[in-house]
Amino acid sequence: MKVGVTEGNPRGTGGTATLALRAGLFALLWWILAEGRLDAWWLGAVGVAAATWASLRLAPPGALNIRVVPLLRFLAFFVWNSLRGGAQVAFMALRPRPDLAPALLELELVLPPGTPRVLMLNTLGLMPGTLGVRLDAATLRLHVLDARLPVAAEARALEAHIARLFGAAA
Amino acid sequence: MTTLFEILSALCLAGGGFFCIVGGIGLLRMPDFYTRVHAASLTETLGAGLILLGLMLHEGFTLVTVKLLMIGLLIFFASPTASHALTRAALLRGLKPLLDGPAENK
Repeated sequence: MKVGVTEGNPRGTGGTATLALRAGLFALLWWILAEGRLDAWWLGAVGVAAATWASLRLAPPGALNIRVVPLLRFLAFFVWNSLRGGAQVAFMALRPRPDLAPALLELELVLPPGTPRVLMLNTLGLMPGTLGVRLDAATLRLHVLDARLPVAAEARALEAHIARLFGAAA
Repeated sequence: MTTLFEILSALCLAGGGFFCIVGGIGLLRMPDFYTRVHAASLTETLGAGLILLGLMLHEGFTLVTVKLLMIGLLIFFASPTASHALTRAALLRGLKPLLDGPAENK
């Protein structure tokens, strides 16, 4: 995610700049993990090369343009909903007789395909109470613990946050 | 100032521990596979998240905090991917989720 944020600015620069930037970030990460020690620098070099290759393979340059303010709002939304959902699920798990109303919901996503949809799926999976079970094209099937809660509305709110995060078109 | 961070850190660690335990209890008590995965997400998101936050507050701004942030990032991407892969596989193999009203739950 960090990579995407920094790449938001030099839009249109070629693959070489992206490669250098990502390799630099991975090298920095290695340096942090090794706490500045250079005893096993060759292992780090192999790791950095592998990580850079994988990142270029999996996320080609220029695919993402993450905006900072919506990112903070998205994170705030995520943390708040996780805490609230977590409290609800914890309460359900601790009741003498668990009171659930599990259901499968279908949601038509308006987000563009690729990273935005995957992020939506990921976030729903992390927030207690909702779980993305299946994603076919634009149809997201959700498993929810309690269908009496306004889950669909919350998912729509999340979707709007993610849409703003990537700008209108990602 | 230091004491304030220590108190916040202790609160986060205690809260994280609480959610880990409750997640475990939920894993045992939930009625079917899909609902159990929900209980596991409690452990992953709130349990691990609060413990990491507590440790970061305890450490202050050091290299350790950056490492903790990296662990958090890894969990953020890996754990929902794993639970999605599990439930998707279960659904595709025909495991029917328990779908009912509140009255039928035992």
